[in-house]
Parts: sequence; C-alpha cells; structure tokens
Amino acid sequence: MTVVTLQGVSKHYRERPAVTEFTLRVQAEERLVLLGPSGCGKTTVLRLLAGLVAPDRGQIDINGEVVAKDGKNLREPQERNLGMVFQDLALWPHLTVKGNLEFGLKAQGVPGAERQKRIGKMLKLMQLQGYAEAWSAGLSGGQQQRVALARALVLQPRLLLMDEPLSSLDFELNLQLRQELLRLQGELGFTLIYVTHNLEEAFAIATRVVVMKAGRIDRIGAVAPIRAHFEELLRRTAILAREFIVYDALYAYCRE
Amino acid sequence: MLTGQRITLTATVVLLLVIGVAPILAMFTASVMIDGKPSLVHYQALVSSHRAWVLLGHSLTLSSLTALCGTVLGVPLGILLGKTDLPLRYLFVVLFTLPLLLPPYLLAVAWSTVLGREGLLSDLAGGTVAEMGSAALFGLGGSVLVLTTVFMPVAMLLTIAYLRTIDPRLEEAGRLVARWPRVLCRITLPMIRPGLAWAALLIFLLAIGEFSVPMHLRYDVFPVEILTQFSAFYDFGAATAAAVPLALLTVTVLIGEELFSGAPRQTMRGLMGAAERSFIRLSAARAGWFLGVGLLCVVLVILPLGGLVLQTSPIDYLEALTRGGDSLLRSLVYAASGATLLSLLGFFCGYLIHTHALRAWRWVDFLTLVLLVLPSPVIGIGLIGLWNRPATDWIYGTPMMILLGYMAQYLALTSRTTAAALAQIPASMDEAALVTGAGWFRRLSTITAPLARPGLLAAWLVAYIFCLRDTGIALLVYPPGHDTLPVRIFTLMANSPEGLIAALCVLMMAATFLPLAPLGFIMKRRGRML
Repeated sequence: MTVVTLQGVSKHYRERPAVTEFTLRVQAEERLVLLGPSGCGKTTVLRLLAGLVAPDRGQIDINGEVVAKDGKNLREPQERNLGMVFQDLALWPHLTVKGNLEFGLKAQGVPGAERQKRIGKMLKLMQLQGYAEAWSAGLSGGQQQRVALARALVLQPRLLLMDEPLSSLDFELNLQLRQELLRLQGELGFTLIYVTHNLEEAFAIATRVVVMKAGRIDRIGAVAPIRAHFEELLRRTAILAREFIVYDALYAYCRE
Repeated sequence: MLTGQRITLTATVVLLLVIGVAPILAMFTASVMIDGKPSLVHYQALVSSHRAWVLLGHSLTLSSLTALCGTVLGVPLGILLGKTDLPLRYLFVVLFTLPLLLPPYLLAVAWSTVLGREGLLSDLAGGTVAEMGSAALFGLGGSVLVLTTVFMPVAMLLTIAYLRTIDPRLEEAGRLVARWPRVLCRITLPMIRPGLAWAALLIFLLAIGEFSVPMHLRYDVFPVEILTQFSAFYDFGAATAAAVPLALLTVTVLIGEELFSGAPRQTMRGLMGAAERSFIRLSAARAGWFLGVGLLCVVLVILPLGGLVLQTSPIDYLEALTRGGDSLLRSLVYAASGATLLSLLGFFCGYLIHTHALRAWRWVDFLTLVLLVLPSPVIGIGLIGLWNRPATDWIYGTPMMILLGYMAQYLALTSRTTAAALAQIPASMDEAALVTGAGWFRRLSTITAPLARPGLLAAWLVAYIFCLRDTGIALLVYPPGHDTLPVRIFTLMANSPEGLIAALCVLMMAATFLPLAPLGFIMKRRGRML
C-alpha cells in the first residue's frame, strides 16, 4: 500500500531551487533513506511532507489523501498523522520528559487515562522509565534522542520522518540507537523516511535508498545496488575507510 | 589583559561611578544630614505624613494598572505584529511605537484635546458627553490610559524581540501535533515568559517614576511630592528623603528580578540576528485582525496625536516658534550632544558587558539598568546634591548638568544596544586581527567599531530620542535661560492657550520624528552592507 506520494513537487527558497520536479512513492512499513550532500534538498522534502512549508508546484498525498497541491497546503501539519524527529531534536526545555510526550496527546484530545497509559508504555519501550519528571535539558545525548523519538511515536503515527537525528552522536551511541530504531519499527510497523548524509547509517537503516543531488533524485533503488555503486566509487577514489564515510566528502572528492 | 584596554575600561567604570552613583550617594547623604550632623528628621516627617502614604499608594496603583494594561495589550500586539502575516505590520509597529518616543505628558495633552471639555469629543457629541469624557480622563483612569499608550510599546517591542529568539524547530515540533493557538500558549509563550515578565516589570518601573502625566491629569502621585518639596517649599532635605523610597523600591525590584529571573533565558539565542523564524498565517481571519489592530491604532495613536494637530492654526505655530524656538534649538543641540556622549561611553560599557573584560561588568550592566528605571526626579535631585557647591559651580551653572543627567539616566540604552551589536560580530574577526599583531585600540577602531556601525548608529538614535523627550531631569537641573522644549511646554501648560500648547507639542513631535527618516535610511543601507 502506498503511504506517501510526491508528484512533480518543486520548492524554491527566494530564487534558489531547493527541490525540483521531485516524484516518489513510499510503501507502507518501508524504511526509505534520503541520502545526499548538504544542501541537496533532503530536509526540504521532509518539511514539505510535514507541511511545515508548502510546495510551489506538484502534489503530495499521504495515506491516500491529497495534503498539498499547486502551491497550497491543504492539510495542516497536525492533520497529517505523522511524527518527526528534528536534527537538533527540538525538545521543549521548559517541559519535562512527560510534558514533551503529553503535549501532542493533549492537543489531539486523548483522554487522561489513555494518555498516561500510552506515555508509560512509550517510556518503557524507550527504556526511559524513571525519567518522566526529568527536564529534557538534563538528560544525556542518547536519552534526549530517545525522548525525541518517543515524543514522535507516542501519537502512533503511520509515518515517521527523521532528519539526521543521529548525526551529533558518537559512533557507539549511533550504532546502538540505529538498532533500537530498527527494533521499534519492527514492533510498531510505521513507515520511516530518514534523512542522512552518512553512507554507513543509510545502508544500515534503509530498505530503499534515494540519492539526491541538487534538489533532484540522482539514483533510487534497494540497498544492495546503491551500496555497490558507492563501493565502486570508494574503490576508484581509493578511500579505504568504511565507517562514517559521509556523502559530502565522497561527493566533493569525486567532483574533483 | 593588555594595559590600554584595562586602563580604558577601568576609566569607563570610574566615569560611570562619578556620573551615576555619586549623585545618588550625595542625595542619600543629604537626606540624613542637617547642618552637617546626622539626622533622620526628614524620614520621620515622611513616614508620619499621611499624604506621603496616600501618594505612595496612588503611585503603586497607577504603575501596577499601567503595567497590567500595557502587558495585556502589548504582548498580543507583539505576537500579531512580530509573528503573523498581518498586512502593514511594520507600519503598525512604527505607529504604536510613536508615543514611547515623545515626552509622556505630550500624550496627556493630546488626549485632553480629544476628551477635554473643549476637545474634539465636545465638538462632535456635545457638552454632556464631553463632561463625561473629561471626568474619565482627569484622574486615575485617564492616567492609566495615557501611560498605557506611552509604555505599551515596551511590551510590544520586547515581545517581538523575544519571539525572534525562539528556535523555530521547537514551534514546528509543536505544529506537527497542534494548531497555532495551542503551540503559542504551551510552547512559545512559556519559553519567553521571563521576557514578558521583564516587560511588565519595566513598564511598572517606568510608570512609577513618571510624574508629568499624573500631574497634568490631576492624579497625585509620589514623584510629585519630590518636585513639590523641591520646587514649591525649597526643602532640599525633604525632597531627597522623598526620593529615597522610590530609589529603594526600584533597586529592590531590580535585585529581585536579577535573583529570580528564570533559567529559560539560557535557551534563547540572543535578541538579534535569528535569521529563520516560523510565521503564523492568519488566512481567513487576516482581515478581521487587521481591522482590530487598525482600530486600536486609530484609538491609541492617531486619534490623540491627530487631535493635537487639529487643535492648531498657522498663527499658533508662529506664536510657538516665537516663544519656544530657542528652546527647540537647545533641545536639538543638547539631545545630539547627549546622544554622542552616551554613544561614546555606552560603547565602552557595552564592550565591557559583551567581553566581560573586567570583573565589574555585571555591576556595570546592573547599575546602568538601575539608573535607567530610576525616577528622573531622583536623578535630578541627586545631581543637584552633588554639583551644587561653590567648587563645582562651573558645572552646576551650565548645560553640562543636563548632559550629565542624560548620561546618568540613559546609559543603559547605548550600552545594551552596543553589547547586542557586538554580539553579532563573530569572535574570529577580532581574533584574526589579534594574530596579526594589531593592538587593542587599532582592532577596536578598525575592526570592531566599523563592523558594529549599524548598531552604534541605532544606539545614537535611541539615545537622541530619549534625550530629546526627557522632561524630568531637565526640569530639575536646567540652568536659567537653558530650558529645553519639553520643559518650556511643561511650564507654559498651566496658563497658556491650548492652541499654543498644541503647536509646541507638534513642533516637539516634528523634532523627534524628522531625524528618524534619514537615519533610518542610513541604518538600512549600512545594515545591508554589513
């Protein structure tokens, strides 16, 4: 079943094109990774899907409903039933962990008892029991990451958008949270659209990869052929490192 | 630290102490001394005076109501003008800010031309309605109305500024699950709550020291007691004793604010320079909000200021120029000189606050703020107490007293604007110059100051406007033959024709607003170049 459809979507910021004629379909429970160098339009695609910006042209469907068309958002962000984890996490510092999770539930009119049940379950799932009353700013990087994920998932979205959420973490924590994310996706069955410029991370998470360049799709496919393409590039450019090869470096190197 | 830098900044701190602290200390000393001997007679008289307590109660009532009304109006306006796509929002910001730039009593005069017995309302609706309007204007209600009009822009502008400090991601994360009103109430406003509380406190402090509006609208307040003791009874000791409670109240409130201001400020990204912001689209409600804001602007700004202009005739202007032309010229010269001195001293204070180059930076910041919100009669009395002696008559008998008063009261405006401007310059700019071997003065004059030029120009402009509108200090310290236009209008108000007073007020408005256009243009160009 198709969860997301972008049809000929374009977006400009002032005179600069961010996304051009972007067409893509994402299937239910798929883990799609948008990969590309900084400034290639990955984050803009997420923001278009979330309804935080409106497309200049084209149409966006989510869960079979037209949410944006011809320069207008037809559905507000809160009406799209999706969760999003921001690059800087955007945890509200004046609210506790529980407050962060509760905000969306309250906004959507979830009754009190149900709210507490869902928050408790989510905290357990994220191994954050005992941190409900903690202030988000006082948590470690990994815990903050889990709170951000919990906040997005507690609303039980069918679609989860993640904008380079692990980019600021060290290798071990990155690896650990990646595995947790895969476990959660298996348990909860949401569709994941994940933005990164880290090749290793992309291949570990994705079931399908979209390589973006200058606001357009450069390459799209399953993990194996895309990985093969990049390994070929790596061989040609004699870069031996395997972990944390970022697309930017490779891209710049290949262009030279 | 380099010697030149330390010497300059230390000299700045010493100058601040001489200009700002010494007068307050001199005033306090004078209040507890009679004929060279310690005495609390003035305080005993003050404490046992029923009238003083009544006036203090009036002052607290007036300033609390003004703070409440100013915040209740200013915060929603700040949100509408700073965060939505309301049409003409920049024009509205300018229009709503105008009353803050004028001497407060000018607004009281303006409202009198609308609601007074012979005002516009009387012409339009007849005698009975005009009587009711006049009764409502003269007293507490009218004073709150006028002071709210004057100080509401403080809450509005601070709300706009604080809204710009919020990371848009925090709001977007909320927007994914909730509509804008809920995001505003639960995310945005709680995050800037300390800023909003500060706005309310600032309005309270500015209103409690204001005497000209309640005086004109015949609502007796405590600062008037200081003036009465000084001007009517020539009792300097009693005047200083009356000034001390206001000074103590101001300092206590500010210390409380410093101690209890919330940690959430740490999450803000600085008041200027947040390039990315999330905007609220008003969509279908846009026209309704526009009409509402437009109506409020007409009622609070255009109606009273327009009424003032309508009250005048060409003959009034001729008369006004004859009787107030020299004062107008002096006002312009003093304001420009004061602004230049304030910019210079404010630059070094701002540099100190920004770089923390001396441990005293926190005190400098706090002290300048205290002086800004200290009631102007308190500073005026302090200056007289310090400089009115034979050895310093070369200062006391000259316009330097006015300039010293400006520098004492308004230094926070230039120091904080400078500090904000310096915060926008990447530290690497100065460091790059440092590694080339350039000394502090050279780096300051060729790198830092030119890069901060738009901010410094803004500081000068703000200082100029506040010096020009000043009434309280100049009224107390001006030497004979050196009164400023606000003082001349204030002294003429009691027994001059309304047309003449209105014309003088219009001249005052012109003197305030005319330099804004070219300077605004220059700043815009410089800002773009930066």
